[in-house]
This record gives sequence, structure tokens and C-alpha cells, in this order.
Amino acid sequence: METLAIALLAFFTVGWFVLAGADIGTGMLALWLGRNDRERRLVLASFAPFFLGNEVWLVAAAGVLVGCFPALEGELLSGRLPVLVALLTGWILRDAGLWSRGRGPGSRWRAGCDAAVAGGSWIVALSWGWLLAAPLTGRPYAPATGPTAVLTALAVAALFAAHGLGFAALRLTGVPYERARRLVGRAGRPWQSFALTGVLLAALPLWAGSALPLAGRTASPATLGLLVPALLVVTPPLVAVQAWIWHAFRHRVTGPSYL
Amino acid sequence: MNQDVLDLARLQFALTAGGHFLFVALTLGLATVVAVLQTRATFSREPLHARMVRFWGQLYVINYAVGIVTGLVMEFQFGMAWSGLTHEAGNILGASLAVETIVAFFVESTFLGLWIFGWNRLNRWAHLAAIWIVVLTAYVSAYWILVSNGFLNHPVGYASEGGELVLDDPVAVLTNPSALLAFGHVLAGALLTAGFFMAGVSAYHLFRRTPEWEFFGRSLRIGIFLSAPALMAAAVFGGLQFGTLTTFQPMKSAVFSGKAAEIARIQAEMTDRFGPGDYVPSEAWTRGGGLVMLISFALMMYLCFAGVILACFKKVVFRFRLWHLVLMAAVPLPYLAMIGGWVFREAGRQPWVVYGLLRTEDAVSDLSPGTMRLSLTVFTTVFALLALLNAWLLARHARRGPVESGLGHDERPDAAAGGEGGAPPADPADALPAPRY
Repeated sequence: METLAIALLAFFTVGWFVLAGADIGTGMLALWLGRNDRERRLVLASFAPFFLGNEVWLVAAAGVLVGCFPALEGELLSGRLPVLVALLTGWILRDAGLWSRGRGPGSRWRAGCDAAVAGGSWIVALSWGWLLAAPLTGRPYAPATGPTAVLTALAVAALFAAHGLGFAALRLTGVPYERARRLVGRAGRPWQSFALTGVLLAALPLWAGSALPLAGRTASPATLGLLVPALLVVTPPLVAVQAWIWHAFRHRVTGPSYL
Repeated sequence: MNQDVLDLARLQFALTAGGHFLFVALTLGLATVVAVLQTRATFSREPLHARMVRFWGQLYVINYAVGIVTGLVMEFQFGMAWSGLTHEAGNILGASLAVETIVAFFVESTFLGLWIFGWNRLNRWAHLAAIWIVVLTAYVSAYWILVSNGFLNHPVGYASEGGELVLDDPVAVLTNPSALLAFGHVLAGALLTAGFFMAGVSAYHLFRRTPEWEFFGRSLRIGIFLSAPALMAAAVFGGLQFGTLTTFQPMKSAVFSGKAAEIARIQAEMTDRFGPGDYVPSEAWTRGGGLVMLISFALMMYLCFAGVILACFKKVVFRFRLWHLVLMAAVPLPYLAMIGGWVFREAGRQPWVVYGLLRTEDAVSDLSPGTMRLSLTVFTTVFALLALLNAWLLARHARRGPVESGLGHDERPDAAAGGEGGAPPADPADALPAPRY
């Protein structure tokens, strides 16, 4: 049960990094990929049908953490409260920008929302870097400080951006596509760079998680015995539905969406 | 434990949970209405019905989107500010939160994305199924949250092992009367909120005599005829909950009724059981919350009673402008009742976070006052801005009425030409020259 609980946590965390990493990375580059209102709307449309389904992977990971490792969750989260405040603020800013962009008045409002999406995405990516720097410094329960923290934050953010760039090269058309493709490079197919950044992003949380004392900090056997099988049963259909959505919206975007 | 940190953490939880709760109230109720409207539109194929789905669906999506981001903070807050709670009661509380996130929230968000972005793309029956899955998982989500909250208010099905609570009887936890009755009460309250919201928005358009009189005449009647039974259901579940208090939380009901002798007796009893301490919750918050709820209930009852009679006459629905004004002014009433009832429930069980088992002061995280102050400032500011954004966007779209844009607008370039034509455009990556080495 303990191993399965760890596997579930790893699965949802890796899922978030690979899937949401793509829309966060694209969001980080939104102002550069799209230079006017129309182009930016197209850039957002590239991940519009997926971002809501993507972000819940992190919510699910947090759920597994609190359900299967409750005491550890409390120590981890309260110890790094400042980093989480930054992460959540960036997340909220980004989502508020995405949802409100098409609902408010005028081009200034939309430009402001675009800036919120890009800024929020950067804050989320940098906060994750800051969060992951803690195991590097050997103190997983406190926010990392010093040059290690800064360098890790920047490196992780760059990886998110590269992942988003690969996603943009796979999803966009027209001028924003040309911009993304120029940076990805013309050698090989665009999915190759996306796959590479995906593997790197998947490795990040696994490597950081190996520094956590997960085994031995699980919830009591009575709880795990009910919770883990229940989660294992519902996870495959959930993944199947999400896979179907990716399939339904697999074509490159040529026009705007609801956002 | 630092008194400042405790007060700040409680204030943060009250403001963020209260804010989130108010978003949820409208989301949960309006989702149900939209799903029923869409069912009718799918069967009847009438354009007016389809337009109603899009208009009320647009308002629902705005409110949901802002509500979901407030929920993100809630998800992480237990671990951040209340690590004592996850430490002591995590075996039970954590499990229900985990099931909520994966079984309910995950499914709800996935299908909501499908519903919003799959408009005009999905088969209309699949599209209808998507909104119903969203509604049902929203209910499941509310149920699991109230299982957690019910356990805090009235812990059942647990055993104590080495100073930690462990799960003993899962069925007892899942059928906790404190959770089930609250679930019925909150659900009815959510439908009531949606009913008053629909009636108020429709009344605005009828008052202004906008061209959409038929659209809003029908919507107003839906709002009224939904509010009346929802109010009755909320009152029944509320009454049942109140009845359980004398056994579950006698102190709360004594403080609410202001019986000094009774309060002193229970205080002495609890001192015997749990050791010295102050077991009387804040009288101002407990009684204040309860009274706000009861007064709003009384006002809503008069309005619903009158409304059901008035809404039977077509001329009155379209022309009685004073009634329209009253309905517009009444939109905040269900919100007041919801927040009042919630303050009564949560403030009235202090000093306990898990009733009779864990005190609030023992559950707060070991944080510095500076960190807690930073977190409180940031989240309060963000929540206030989100509430303003939501109110402004809702008002803006409600005022605009049903228009040919926004949710459900067919964005496909060839939509005007009739249906999807031809193969999807070729992959631009194919058009590039082959790599040269």
C-alpha cells in the first residue's frame, strides 16, 4: 500500500509537470509569440481546451499528499509557506487573466489580461524552481535561500519555457507558429524537442521526491487500505477521458476559442 | 503557540473559506439550472431555450472560473496554516479531502473544459452529458467537503491510537448526520441563491423594458418557482440540524439562546471532562451569525410567498416594476443567509477545531507572526480583488443580456458556410524544407 501511495503521488505530480508545464510554458511566452491582440488570442487558444484539465493534476497531487501522507503534508506546506503563497498568487493571477480576457471591455483590458497570464505563468514556474531548490540545499522543510535557490528557480523556469515553446510549435499556425519554430530549430520534427523537455520535466519531481521521507510517513493502514484502492480504481477512467479530450482537440489551432 | 499567529490564521481561514463558500453557493445552484435548461433545449430544439442555456451558462462559467481559483487556496491552506489538524486528524480528514480532489474536482474540471470548449464540436447529446457530469460531480464535491466538515463538527467513526486519530468505522464517517444534514442544507441554499440571482437579473431587464421580455419573463418565473421549494428545503434541513445541536454541541445552542444558567452548567461539565479552559464560544459571532441567517430567511420567505402568487399572472411578471426593484434588491439575501449560517456553525463550535478532541489553538502551524501576516495580507487582497472582478463581470454580462458572442459562440471559420467542411489544414511543419546536413 505504501509503495502504491507513493506511486500515485508520483503519477499525479509528473502528470502535472508534463501536461500543465506545456500550458504554463506557452503562457510564459505568450507576449513574445503573439505580438498583437489576434495573435495572442490564438496563442491562448492553443492550450485553452486543456488548461483546466491540466491544472487539476496538481490539485489531485495535493489531495494524494494530504490523504496518504497527512502529517508530512502539514510539515512540508507550513514550512514553505512563503513559496506557496507566491505559487498560489501566480496561479490565481494567471487563471484570472485567462478567464477574464474575453469577458471584459476593450483592447487595453485584453492587453492587461495577457500580461497577467504571462506574469502569472512566470511566477508559477519560478516558484516551482524555488520549491524544488529546497531538496538541493538539503533542507526540504524550509524555503531555499542563496544562489542555489536563484539558479534553480531560473533553470526550472527556463525548462518550463522550453517545454511551452515545443508545445506552441506543435499547436500553432501562422505567424506565432513561425516565431516558435524559428526558436525550436528546423532540424528534426517539432515533437522531438517537446518530448525531450517533457522527459526532463517528468524527472524533476521524481528526483526532488526521492529526497523526501515518504516511506514511513504514510497515513494509518486503515485509511490507506480504503483510500489507495479507491484512487487506483478511478484513476484509469479519468486518464482515459483526458486522453480523449487531447485527441478531440488534437488539430492545430487556426482560430480563437472562448478565452 | 503564538496568540498573534492563531488569530491571524483564524482570520485568514474565515475570510478565504467564507469567500470561497459564497462563490460555490451560486456555482452549485446555477449549474443545476443550466443543466436542466440544456436538457429542455436538447429535447425541444427551440432557439429560445438554447439561448437561455448560453446566457445563464455564461454567468455560471464566469462565477465558476473565479470560484475555482479561490478553491485552490483552500486546498493548500490546511497544510500551510493548520498542520496540527493534518497531524492529529489527517487520517480521516485527509482521506475525504483526497477523494474530493480526485473523484470530484478532477472530473468536474475535465468535463467543464469539455463543455465550454466542445460547444458546436461535440454531438449535442454528448454535450448534454458533459454538463450533467459537471453538476453531479459538483454535488459529490460538496458532499466530500461536508464529510470533512461534519467530522470536525461531530467526530464519529474514529479510534485513538498513540495520540493520533485513526479511521475505525468508515460507514459512520460517510453517514455522519452532521455531514448529511449540512449537505442537504447547503444544496438547498445553493439552489435558493441561484433562484434569487435569476429572478433579480431577469427583473432588471423587465424593469428596463429591454427587448428580451419573453426571455426574461420566463427566466424570472423559473427563478421564483425554484426559490420557493428551495427555501422550504433549506428550512427543513436547517431545523433538523438545529435539533441535533442539543446532543451534538449543547454549548452552541445554549449560547445562541442566551441562557446564562445553561452556559454555566455546560462550562462546568466540560471543565470536568477536558480540564480547565474557556469552553464558551464568542457570543457576538454565534448569535450574530444565527440572527443574520434567521432574519434573511424571514425576508426571503415573505418574498417567495408573494412571488409565487405574483408570478402566476403574466401581466404582473412583465409590468409590476416595484416588484422588479424588490427582486433586484433581494439578490444579496441568500448570500447573507449562507454566510450567517456558516459563521453560526463554525464560530459556535469554538474553542474546538475537532469537537471535543482538538482545540483550534493546538492545530495552528508553528509559523512566525511575520509569515502569517504576509500570507493573510496577500490572500485577503487577492480574494477581495477576485470578488470585485466576479461582481463586475457578472453585472456586465447580466446587463448585456443574451448576445451573439461569448459562451457557445461558433468560432469555426467555416461555420457560416454550414458545418465543418474539408480536412483540417495540413501540418505547417510539413511545408518546411527538409533539414540539410
